[in-house]
Amino acid sequence: MDRNQITKWLKAPAKMANKYSLHAIYFCTGCGIIEVPPVITARWDAERFGIIPVATPRQANLFLITGYVSVKTLKAIIRTYEQMLEPKYTVGFGSCPINGGMYWDSYNTIKHLDKYIPIDGWIAGCMPRPEAIFIAVTHLWTLIEKGMANGYVRYKENYEFYRKNQEMALGKLDWPALYQINSDSKAVEYE
Amino acid sequence: MENMVVKITQIILSPILALIVGVFFLGLARKIMARIHWRYGPPLIQPVIDMIRLFYQKSVSHGRMFDLGIILSLAGSIVVVLFLPFGQICPLAGSGGLLVILYIMLLAPLGLALSAGQGANPNISIGISRKFILTLGYEAPLLLVLLSVMTHYKTISIMEVVNIQQRTGWSIISFPLFLSGLAYFLILPAILGIRPFDMTSATQEISSGPMVEYGGKYLALTVLEHALVLFISIALFVNLFLGGAGNIVSFFMKMLVVFVLCLCINAVFPRFRIEQAIKYLWKWPTLLAFLGLITTIAIRS
Repeated sequence: MDRNQITKWLKAPAKMANKYSLHAIYFCTGCGIIEVPPVITARWDAERFGIIPVATPRQANLFLITGYVSVKTLKAIIRTYEQMLEPKYTVGFGSCPINGGMYWDSYNTIKHLDKYIPIDGWIAGCMPRPEAIFIAVTHLWTLIEKGMANGYVRYKENYEFYRKNQEMALGKLDWPALYQINSDSKAVEYE
Repeated sequence: MENMVVKITQIILSPILALIVGVFFLGLARKIMARIHWRYGPPLIQPVIDMIRLFYQKSVSHGRMFDLGIILSLAGSIVVVLFLPFGQICPLAGSGGLLVILYIMLLAPLGLALSAGQGANPNISIGISRKFILTLGYEAPLLLVLLSVMTHYKTISIMEVVNIQQRTGWSIISFPLFLSGLAYFLILPAILGIRPFDMTSATQEISSGPMVEYGGKYLALTVLEHALVLFISIALFVNLFLGGAGNIVSFFMKMLVVFVLCLCINAVFPRFRIEQAIKYLWKWPTLLAFLGLITTIAIRS
């Protein structure tokens, strides 16, 4: 990894610091979490890229959703995502959060996670290898550098859309809206 | 007049120097831990990168005390740094010495507790109560150790202690004080809050304890505070038992050796439960420190 990027550091320190200090929150959804311990420990050592797991959403800026999302987990995911501080990045890991995967017919899981929280990137596969996380991270670096990893901005702009979808999946939400909702825009149909 | 200018420069520069050394130690800690695990590890400046990121992040406050407590804690640590000699430089040498340090050292955990207590998270209260119980555990042997040092050298000034050691040799290899030195080294992991005494900020059981609601700038300030605490407790050990130093470079080399030893302890031990920690702290280090104090008094009188 090229660390001698002094001019980039001087031009945009926030961007560079966001790139090289991704603190991922422990959130064990589904079976994909089994691929994470080899990534953060001695075998693949994610810490050399500045990625460490942290225990609370306040300290984290990378949210890995590893595996299928049941309706109950979705609630926890939304609350965790809303507690993270901006800028924050989300990556869906495995095919289940992308389109339901092998749980397509399940009554208890949601398909299309990006209707409920914004996702900055996907890692497809069932299961993806641990190396896929590093590929995803390097892609995320590119996105951050180009300003395209803007999920938290999209969440703020389209909050009515996300909130409506969340209410459609979970029923009445028992926490207040994170942002002001002023227009009643139409949420997309829940498949 | 010139003396005054030198003094003011020292007062401004020494906390900055302490912060730089502390943050360097944090980076070194992560690198050395990684190498012990047979990993490559992050770059040495990783804590600085993290801190830049945290200062640019949006932060959430939980009330007035949440803001002020962390500043109180940082201020307390910075004031303690002014009373510690770096080699032969000590900005506030002539005022108070060890007694003042004993009082002000408590400000750091107190400020953190006041600040963290504002975030109404149950993990915080568990973490704070563990932190204070741990403080109670290591303060008893620490007091005995400092008392025996003060009795042995018949002074409360650290500068004086350093100067006497420069003439007569390190106190950790002199007869009655090696017991106290050993006791201080045994409680050093508890003061630093590293394993086996990291139950206050245990990430796996209580979601990093008092730190659970800190994010953004607040987390960056707590990291700085942690760096200062690291600096203070190791510098105190070097000054009292390893003979201080004639110049800054050898002082930092001594600190580095002590810190790497602590890291090796950190790398191989699992975490104590809080009652096991108290049992340990009030048994061996206290016994050694007490023995040291009695021997010192018997020899000196």
